[in-house]
Amino acid sequence: MGLIRAVMNTVFWKERQKRKPLGPRWPLLLFHVDTGGCGGCGMELQAMTCLPYDMQGAGFGFVNSPRSADVLLVTGALTRTMAPVLQAAWEAMPNPKGIISIGNCALDGGVFSENYAVMGGLERRVSVDLAITGCPPSPQEILNGLCSLLGSAAQGGKKETPSGG
Amino acid sequence: MDVAALIYAGEQTSTPWRFRLDELAWRDMVDMLKGDDLPFVGLWCDGADVHALFLPDGHPLAATLALEGGRYPALSPARVAASLYERAIYDLFGAEAMWAVDVRPLLDHDVWSAAPPLCAAPGRGGQRKGLVAFQPSDAMAAAKGRVEERGPATGDLAPPFYTRLVLSGTLVANAETQTGYAHRGIAARSRHARVEDVCRLSSRVAAGSSVAHQVAFCQAVENACNAQVGAEVALLRVALLEMERLFQHLYILAGMARLAGAQLVASHCMALREKLVAEAAPITGSRLLMDVCIPGGLSVRDATQMGDLCGRVYELGQKAYPLLVLLWREYPGLSALLGRVGRIQADDLERVGLDGPVARAAGWDCDGRRIMPAYDGLWRYTSGRQNGTAEDRALLLLDEMEESLRMLDLASARIGLNAGGTVPLSMQDGEGTGLVEGPWGGVLYWVRLAHGRVAEAFCRKPETSALLVFEQALPNHAAEDAALLACSLGMNAAALDG
Ligand code: SF4
Repeated sequence: MGLIRAVMNTVFWKERQKRKPLGPRWPLLLFHVDTGGCGGCGMELQAMTCLPYDMQGAGFGFVNSPRSADVLLVTGALTRTMAPVLQAAWEAMPNPKGIISIGNCALDGGVFSENYAVMGGLERRVSVDLAITGCPPSPQEILNGLCSLLGSAAQGGKKETPSGG
Repeated sequence: MDVAALIYAGEQTSTPWRFRLDELAWRDMVDMLKGDDLPFVGLWCDGADVHALFLPDGHPLAATLALEGGRYPALSPARVAASLYERAIYDLFGAEAMWAVDVRPLLDHDVWSAAPPLCAAPGRGGQRKGLVAFQPSDAMAAAKGRVEERGPATGDLAPPFYTRLVLSGTLVANAETQTGYAHRGIAARSRHARVEDVCRLSSRVAAGSSVAHQVAFCQAVENACNAQVGAEVALLRVALLEMERLFQHLYILAGMARLAGAQLVASHCMALREKLVAEAAPITGSRLLMDVCIPGGLSVRDATQMGDLCGRVYELGQKAYPLLVLLWREYPGLSALLGRVGRIQADDLERVGLDGPVARAAGWDCDGRRIMPAYDGLWRYTSGRQNGTAEDRALLLLDEMEESLRMLDLASARIGLNAGGTVPLSMQDGEGTGLVEGPWGGVLYWVRLAHGRVAEAFCRKPETSALLVFEQALPNHAAEDAALLACSLGMNAAALDG
């Protein structure tokens, strides 16, 4: 995992802006990897892609190949079996690129702390550009987190629903 | 003598329904099982013994055998579903199943830091660096044709697993999966752990079946303590179970529609699900209904509002339901496409023990709610089309949603302002089981309590058998239908890997 060093800094945004401007027509492209959770964060990501959340309008889209992704979106505790898969996905992504952890276990293992099969989370192994915590975080919290990257508030003014479980 | 009688003839343990057999009796049991339809639930190991659990007439009956030199006679020659348990036991404990039908690793792919991690003296784990290697069966290794690989990172939002397809033309000729990518060691984490911590873990075996796992675990603990929750708590748990079924069926229907190219139908399902989830979350405290049960009671945020919530979910669901069904039935091409995918016979499902909606849509009449006392006066038998295709499964999920809504309506009148109340459990050493009908079939927990903690826990979930059905059903499908088939069978690597 040593090679993953996220670089979503000023250079990232400058370089990306050169290639394509941000916005619904040129969304920030996300590649999702579940590194070994309960699947709850993935379900909330799926909910975020649907009504009433306007993920596309907010300027994000999912892709099914790391080669066309701007950002790696990681959910789930990092299992020893998935670590090389995550590394391979990262290496396949073009520069500039970033990495975001969604949910408690992607960050520090959450309820799935380090053991014989699990390395814990990304924390202390990888410099993540954004960590959205919760178990799982709600779709609105995820979207708000992503939007904070773009410096814009989430669309819609939806009422908050609790996360944390 | 039938198999049950043979087990009863073993040495009675301190648990009234568990009997210790010697190796010869165990071998006889395996032989006799080949011609006996005793329902097999699962096989697990605790380091010293292996235990096989059966469910004659809905009651637990277990056979125990002491490991002899770290080995035991396999059950898989008589119950094919046992092969996945045998492979997991080998990976976790190093206990070898003699004459097993499949000895490929299931969870450990040579990357763990200790192996076998749960045996008395684990050694250093495998030293493999980099991506794990696929280990095919002999038949797969010999198969000729174009190879297509899926996963473990496909970019979609489901838990990770790997599938290798060997194609003949555009159709799948051979298929095999590799799992273990999402193995978090839940069995290891549950050993000698505090009851409330294991309950929290049970919430997170597989999102979407969280309530089913929590309730089954709590029931197992309560049974081990000889305690019973009151009728109100039992009813509130039923309400949570039916809400989960409703939310999860909508999620799966959306997934099937999306994978079949019917985006409009998918967004309708997800929009309705989101409306219901948003209604429930402030009361239950969790959108995915995690951490809502504790042994002896409930831990929802506002139990006094649960009756009202059931009523509101019923009203919202009932209003949207007719349009959803119409859309599903009339959407151009959807029925035809799903009707061609994943036809499975009830006999095959019985053979591998895959119950739940997949079995019901193929004509196998099995529903754990029939034997759950809390469902008395709520659950009723219904039947729909039973041809065993993905379309039948989708229509059955829609029917079951309507039934869940009806049960929530009935429950709302009975719950009223009742907040349930928790029974204080006096923890005592013992064993217990709990069985619940989850969204995808029976979820069963066996727990052994010792010194106020969980000493060992075993969980049977339908996703184990779903893997076998998925592999068997893939041949003759178009490669691009693999994900749709998996979705329609309730494949879930998070649940399977544990
Ligand atoms: S953070 Fe919680 S909900 Fe998300 S994958 Fe981990 S255990 Fe599941």
